[in-house]
Amino acid sequence: MADQTAATAIEIPPDIAEMAKTAAWPEDLIRTLLERGAEPADLKRYMGMGVSADQVREFMAQQDAAGVGQAGPQLDLAWMRVPTEWGTRAKPTKHGLTLDAINVGKYGDVPDRWEYASEMPRGAVPILGVEGMGYTVYEKQELWADNAGALYEEAIQRRWRPASDIDWASLQPLPDDLERAICQICTHFSEKAQLEADVLAGWEPELSYGYHEVKLYLATVIFEGARHAEVFRKRALSNGGGLGLQSTGWGFRSVTDARNFTEMISVQMLLQDGFTLAQYEFCEKYAPHAAEKLLFRLAMQDKARHVAYALAHLKYVLLHKHDRRGELDRYLDKGEAMLAADDKDVATREAFAVLFAGGRDNIATGLQTYEDMRRRQVAQYLERLKWATMDRAGQLFPALRQYAPQTESNGTGAH
Amino acid sequence: MPKFPSVDWFDTVRNMVNADEAFRRLGTVDARVGMKIGDVLYEVTFEAFECTGVKEVDENTLRELDFWLEQTPEEWRDMIENIKTHGAADLSHTLNTIDLTNPEGFAKSYDGYKRDAFYRFNQSLQHFFDSSAKIDTQFAVGANA
Repeated sequence: MADQTAATAIEIPPDIAEMAKTAAWPEDLIRTLLERGAEPADLKRYMGMGVSADQVREFMAQQDAAGVGQAGPQLDLAWMRVPTEWGTRAKPTKHGLTLDAINVGKYGDVPDRWEYASEMPRGAVPILGVEGMGYTVYEKQELWADNAGALYEEAIQRRWRPASDIDWASLQPLPDDLERAICQICTHFSEKAQLEADVLAGWEPELSYGYHEVKLYLATVIFEGARHAEVFRKRALSNGGGLGLQSTGWGFRSVTDARNFTEMISVQMLLQDGFTLAQYEFCEKYAPHAAEKLLFRLAMQDKARHVAYALAHLKYVLLHKHDRRGELDRYLDKGEAMLAADDKDVATREAFAVLFAGGRDNIATGLQTYEDMRRRQVAQYLERLKWATMDRAGQLFPALRQYAPQTESNGTGAH
Repeated sequence: MPKFPSVDWFDTVRNMVNADEAFRRLGTVDARVGMKIGDVLYEVTFEAFECTGVKEVDENTLRELDFWLEQTPEEWRDMIENIKTHGAADLSHTLNTIDLTNPEGFAKSYDGYKRDAFYRFNQSLQHFFDSSAKIDTQFAVGANA
């Protein structure tokens, strides 16, 4: 009789009753939960998340076993019963317990669209009323690259320390023209690296939390921007020289002016970083000291990872959002034009030429090598784009087109 | 004294770097790298913190590799002897320098993405070859072959 009274005292709100039918939660279960003080909003949320009636009964049994509601300390402990995927045991790989290794079960489901405006981690249970974070990038195709998690781990494992990994004490005094050339180049590289760190740091808060692999990888790129700004500044100030002229910064504008994430990545991390990578390659070859050669080899490693992320992202976009192909061409049109405008930076071009020639006396030879570097930059750029399913050989900005390879290098397709 | 080129030579260097804490400190390497010495081709595999295997392969394998390093037997000998003489590659014999100096290129690939593994893991690859300074090599080509 008492049970009957209690049962009639609890009214099940119509919207809850409707949802309960869909979720296959029996009415007696709903009544019991309401009797125990459950909030209707919570019930709706759990039903919406697909929590089954059996799971609810299991939570209630756990609660009873724990003595919740009986005499003693008033603990909530509701957090111990959240319906996340439980019992997860990710296994370490040869690389250790990596981001990819913990992408198991539901935690590895990367949605095409992330629905939450808060900083909730992927796989956690949302709570109502949390303030939004102001993200603007919620679609996977806007930022995703399949290699992001692996590149993060690679960046962490292959980090280096400019202060102690480079044998700064081994640097020997150089002829004035050569030291000035290296310092001018390092001024340019340091400036570019700081800009990349600044730009990417500005984009991090735009990227929603569901794609943490990308957010974490970009954090390493920001750190590497800082490392390159540091190491090139240190080289300029460690061998009797100093800083040189600032860059004209035409190429920077196409990056800072980018209006969406893919545009910024295409121009900064594919085009600009790809060209910078070739500059590091040439500087490694012509560096006058073993310490500088090591510096450039280590910097090359970081830069090549940036290019790898950008390429994989571009390919992901092109394979999943075909209608963006023309849009991406437009971004690269602009980026190439601004990059070509950077050739107005006479100081940096001449500094490269002096380094490549071993001094200003043979600067004509150095300028020819600078042209060789341009040819390599363009060839690598086109080969990378081809991998991402873009053929831009016929669309290159005219000032770059003259450097494009006319034929395959050896007739086999290898390069 | 291992003979170059041979599986034995690459295996000797492989065992050295796998026991070398300095190689491990450079970080993980994940690449299938070809070593083409004239007409002979070896595949050297790197996985995580170690070099996991060496085997002789044929040209059909090239497309499966991330990239391969290709020189004439004489050029390989010059590089390895230079490393032996100086304890590590000198200014004109680093892998990247050779790649830019050789008109045909040194690091090659069929894949515009995979070839960049040459840059991503460059210092580990350099360390691998520099480690050969610690062994005596008998060459299959040249005056003392």
